[in-house]
Amino acid sequence: MSENARLKFYCDEHRCISCDGCSVACAEAHELPAGINRRKVITMNEGILGLEYSLSIACMHCTDAPCEQVCPTDCFYIREDGIVLHDKEKCIGCAYCLYACPFGAPQFPSDGAFGIKGVMDKCTMCAGGPEETNSHKEREMYGQNRISEGKVPVCAAMCSTKALLVGDSAEISDIYRERVLSVGHGVKTQPYGWSTAYGSKI
Amino acid sequence: MKSKYIIIALLALSSLAFGASESVVWSDNLIDNILGYDKKGSLHLGQYFTILQSTYFKPLFLGVLFGVPAVFLLHYMVIGPMIFSHDRKKIYVFTLFHRVIHAIAGVSFILLIPTGLIMMFASTFGGGEFVRVCKEIHAISTLLFIVSIVPMFFMWLRWMFIHLDDIKWLMIVGGYLNKDKKPVPAGRFNAGQKTWYWLATLGGFIMIGTGAAMYFQDIRLDILASNHISQIDFLRASAIVHNALGLAVVALFFTHVYMAVFAIKGAIHSMIDGHKEEEEVEILHSSYYRELKEKGEV
Ligand code: SF4
Ligand code: SF4
Ligand code: SF4
Repeated sequence: MSENARLKFYCDEHRCISCDGCSVACAEAHELPAGINRRKVITMNEGILGLEYSLSIACMHCTDAPCEQVCPTDCFYIREDGIVLHDKEKCIGCAYCLYACPFGAPQFPSDGAFGIKGVMDKCTMCAGGPEETNSHKEREMYGQNRISEGKVPVCAAMCSTKALLVGDSAEISDIYRERVLSVGHGVKTQPYGWSTAYGSKI
Repeated sequence: MKSKYIIIALLALSSLAFGASESVVWSDNLIDNILGYDKKGSLHLGQYFTILQSTYFKPLFLGVLFGVPAVFLLHYMVIGPMIFSHDRKKIYVFTLFHRVIHAIAGVSFILLIPTGLIMMFASTFGGGEFVRVCKEIHAISTLLFIVSIVPMFFMWLRWMFIHLDDIKWLMIVGGYLNKDKKPVPAGRFNAGQKTWYWLATLGGFIMIGTGAAMYFQDIRLDILASNHISQIDFLRASAIVHNALGLAVVALFFTHVYMAVFAIKGAIHSMIDGHKEEEEVEILHSSYYRELKEKGEV
């Protein structure tokens, strides 16, 4: 990770098979209440041959996070590594962050009777919240803090096609560039044999 | 008759609350700026909402909050209040029904405006439980607002249409720029009161609608979907309209209070016991006074 790393997500639409594993893994890992999906898989141009693709979307941890700009309680804070987090104790559930967000990331669990919405919940990039790191309270309110344990966010970790990438933005773009450049390369026309394994010379 | 409207309004509101079964916010239209092939875009209000909310609304509300009272303080010191004789007869202008409805509206405004401002300046109050409670009070006092504003709309409607007097009234700013007791052109309600009436009723209905939309969030309105407007864009529009109208409501509410309590000495009594001083009617509502005279009621 470089010094000025900014953690970002990238979902490679050439690889995503729309299995929804990321959103299920997220919901399970953080024990999210029913109806809250921090991560969602959307399919564009459904049913149109050649144009259909799927994408996994959650909070994108924006550089000039619009949610942070509009929040009337100023409860957002952006970590040095670019992770956008918020303080649920200050949040009033006004949903302004949802109106500002380009990705529909903020979620509002219904809070008791009449379906009135509670405070906001969104993807934390598995980095918890402002409570003491790895405390019981942090886990209850924000879910696991995997970043503090040096683990990859669970959605990207379990992605079977490795479509969903997370990490330093520069590294992510390198990986993606390599993928694009190597499309069609290394396609095997012969079965693997001695020569592949040991080379032709003895 | 009147209660009929109240019941209709309450039913409409409660159907909004319970009509939301399946989420419209987190449906296909969730991300309205990533468009699939052949899909029509929504209104793309996200950037406008972000710019308005992050940069303009707070300073504008601050401006109204301090600017309007400052102007009135200046007016009070330079021109001063109008004082009318209390020795002449009193004219009965507001029935008990008018006064009760007005009082309910007054209470709802006294609850709605501060709680709304606290939400707007939530960070100043530290957010959290206190502001959350204010948010709920804001929602609950809307019910009071509804029960008062619906009858108010009908009970005063017939006097509220624009009249030639209103233009003349506006030209001389209602005669408030000097203390001359020259008759001011106005019927039962002057142009200022009419503006406030329309803002409080029609504007009030819009405030109720946009506020309910934001409060319940997931209200399904098929008219939106059929016009390619995403739920989130509808919520953004609601927030923009609610805040913009809110500015006007706060400004005119302050004006209304200043007029009743300070600018015209004793004016507030007409909303308590229903009577206005004869001289006050003669000067400030001269056309109405003439009418009463013709009918021989004064
Ligand atoms: S909530 Fe939305 S606006 Fe805020 S950082 Fe995440 S994606 Fe960006
Ligand atoms: S819902 Fe909470 S986090 Fe979002 S803008 Fe409102 S107070 Fe801020
Ligand atoms: S980073 Fe963590 S919180 Fe965010 S979507 Fe992935 S699993 Fe969920």
